[in-house]
Amino acid sequence: MTSRQAGRRLMTAQARRRGVQAGQSVRSRRRRNEHLAAKDLRRLAQLVACGSIFVALVAAKLLLPARMAAFNEKLSAAMERNMDVQAVFSAVGRAFSGEEGVLEVYQAVFRPQDEAVQTGSASPEEGAAIQAPKLRDGAALETLRSYRREPDSPEASPAAGEEAPSVSTLAYVLYSQENLPEGVSMEQALLGFDYCAPVAGTLSSDFGYREHPTEGEERFHYGVDLAADTGTEVRCFADGSVTAVGDSSSYGRYCVVAHEGGYSTLYAHCSRITVSSGAAVRRGEKIAEVGETGMATGPHLHFELQRDGTYLNPVYYVSAL
Amino acid sequence: MSPPCRVRATGGFALLAAWFALANGWEPLLTVLGASAVHELGHWAVLRALGAEVTGFRLSALGAVLETDSGRLSYGGELAAVLAGPGANLLAALALTALGKGCWPAAVGANLVLCVFNLLPIRPLDGGRALWLLASWDWGPAAGERAARWTGAVTAASLAGLIACVMRRTGGSLWLLPALCAAVYWGARPWMPGGCS
Repeated sequence: MTSRQAGRRLMTAQARRRGVQAGQSVRSRRRRNEHLAAKDLRRLAQLVACGSIFVALVAAKLLLPARMAAFNEKLSAAMERNMDVQAVFSAVGRAFSGEEGVLEVYQAVFRPQDEAVQTGSASPEEGAAIQAPKLRDGAALETLRSYRREPDSPEASPAAGEEAPSVSTLAYVLYSQENLPEGVSMEQALLGFDYCAPVAGTLSSDFGYREHPTEGEERFHYGVDLAADTGTEVRCFADGSVTAVGDSSSYGRYCVVAHEGGYSTLYAHCSRITVSSGAAVRRGEKIAEVGETGMATGPHLHFELQRDGTYLNPVYYVSAL
Repeated sequence: MSPPCRVRATGGFALLAAWFALANGWEPLLTVLGASAVHELGHWAVLRALGAEVTGFRLSALGAVLETDSGRLSYGGELAAVLAGPGANLLAALALTALGKGCWPAAVGANLVLCVFNLLPIRPLDGGRALWLLASWDWGPAAGERAARWTGAVTAASLAGLIACVMRRTGGSLWLLPALCAAVYWGARPWMPGGCS
């Protein structure tokens, strides 16, 4: 800028010397040249900026593939999560005509009711990920499954529990609670109601410690992953009522259903939720479709089972093994 | 004979429209475009009524701009032309509410949002230009420029903050990013050398 200003000053001095007429023509020619040079310079700067961004991104992808994959995942999630513009406009319109209050506009923009649910159910996973002790017993789940297959106990079948729920609500206590994060139980509870597997898919990830597929570190997995094609029907685990339908960065599109006895189930990463919050649902009823929304590396259903806020292992109740 | 009106749409506009449609669907895009058309028609109608020629129409990523030989307009006339856009949106919202009886809340909302957004005192938005015109009219161009510059910078910073907050709270809505950049750019432009409206 300084050189340009100096140039201009010099030019004015010259113009004065040569007289007004000549000075004006020189000035306009000079200005045109200056303008052209500035334009070329800007183009060059744009080219260099674009080139450096490209080179930096390629270098980052080559040197830090895991970080870039995680970043990519985050970016795609952020790209997909949008406020419902049409709903916001409608809320503004209705507020203008006096049908609704301003609060509805706020809700349309921020959807705080969803957020409350998100933080409520998503935080234990995040919190536990930091606190989780680095202990893992890979064989534990295998042991657990082999237990499950032994038909030696009549109480192993849920029907037995239904008949006499007061006798015992626990079938097995498989291994100690010592290494588990808070709010997790490895007990197999007898539910006391009829249930069905939400998806006929293959078990792609177990309940328990595992290497996180995108973050790359060991974390506790609070549910089971059932791999199935996108669009596969997700059936409700048991009779109950939908307590939350939402969209979160980790769970993607999800819904939570409350059942009797303090149990609740969560269905995450769905492509579509076909029920609305508050709806009464029956066992086997279609409530969603399998997808890969949120932190997912492929289409699957992430299925969680809770009893009074404690995570239980749903593996006993899903037939896909 | 009026000179031919040149209509230009930049690549940035096409890109932003496509992004918006991908993120939010066609319906909101059409709603917004409809409200923008009402807005520009408002400007155009008043400009024509005042006898000014509209020489061009430019659609860019930063919005739509009517190019006119407004040099011939008085402060009052230009102010009327500037405020005609948001005025047209407000009228459209009122008319749609009265006629539609709540049938088209989204169109009403889009018109209102566009009206309020354009009235923000940031140049080159209508509100910023109106403020500049009013201040220049009353206190002279130098004071007008100062008033518009400071108000614009403060409002633009607040707007950028608000957009960033909305993006954070909604966990995405990345299509708002160009608006955030535009707000920062608009707020800073009058301070840059050679940047003047």
